[in-house]
Amino acid sequence: MIGPLVKNGIISGGVNTIFAVLIGMLFGYALQRSGFTNSKKIAAAFYMKDVDVPVVMFTAIITASIGLWGMSLLGLINLGNFYFLPSFLIPMIAGGFIFGIGMAVGGFCPGTSIASMMTGKIDAMVFVGGFLLGSLLFGDLYPVWDKFYNSSANGVWRIDELLNINVGLAILLVTLLGIFGSLGMRKLQYKFWGKNETK
Amino acid sequence: MKKKLWDPVFGGIVIGISIILTFYISGRGLGASGALTDLAAWLQNLVLPSFTQSNEYFGKYFANGANPFNDYLVFLVIGVMIGSLIAGFISKDMKFEILRGPNISNKGRLLYALIGGILVGYAARMARGCTSGQALVGGAELSVGAWAFMFSIFAGGFAVAYFIRRQWI
Repeated sequence: MIGPLVKNGIISGGVNTIFAVLIGMLFGYALQRSGFTNSKKIAAAFYMKDVDVPVVMFTAIITASIGLWGMSLLGLINLGNFYFLPSFLIPMIAGGFIFGIGMAVGGFCPGTSIASMMTGKIDAMVFVGGFLLGSLLFGDLYPVWDKFYNSSANGVWRIDELLNINVGLAILLVTLLGIFGSLGMRKLQYKFWGKNETK
Repeated sequence: MKKKLWDPVFGGIVIGISIILTFYISGRGLGASGALTDLAAWLQNLVLPSFTQSNEYFGKYFANGANPFNDYLVFLVIGVMIGSLIAGFISKDMKFEILRGPNISNKGRLLYALIGGILVGYAARMARGCTSGQALVGGAELSVGAWAFMFSIFAGGFAVAYFIRRQWI
């Protein structure tokens, strides 16, 4: 069966929705079992005290990247039917910086706050409340920043295009960056903080 | 006694597989922040319907009688809630508590959680996604914007970490 299944008419929209719930369950289960329902563990990444968060992120990106590319090479998925995220470089850099400040201050990102809230963590519930307010702030005052938000519209813009290299080589570079980035950060963690686990 | 956590590489592989599955089945990535913004728009629409529907950003959530909850990401997040609940029970980590460092009060921690939530809620919309839908999915798609977003997250977090260290360490 060639994916995407729903776009190729192999499954219906309703079945697609059921799969959405099931995949969400796998994702939520993995977030909790990786310790990401603990705000202290997430914040510890910004002190290099526990670098599990970036290690998980790098590993997930590498896995998904190699998996998707490999499946397209094997003819299991049709990349032409994918929705690719467009780049808006400047608002994404600005948004990322504010996001990082909020993540260090709040101890969560959106997905982890939802998962943590479900395990009874009150700081996560308050964070989710704050997130709703922040979204409304953005949307309700949209005319204030709509020009900036839509600036530097680069369309779908990939690293292989930026560096003018083959997709496979770009994935290899990203993989090496992820592996050496993870090992390097782990080394810094042990150097500065020793081998303690986040409680 | 809480169950031991997964090895981070194993956790990353499982999350990576869940991204591959959304693409293989639905032709798109996963995401967490979209559903929360749907909820925010829906709640505001209960109290201030004309204000919300005439708004340029939220108006499209309700255009032609649309329901903001009729969104792939909402079903995905319902799954996240079920999955984390199951994991919480299995690993004996179900407890009403406030997690914080030793040098801050509960009240102080909750104030920080609120401020952080507001900042992340605003920034996720500015960046068109969060750590899941933008950084992980876009990162796997080799999107230049997504990688810039991810490095900016770490830049922002490292920049402010020192000033709020009393909360965590």
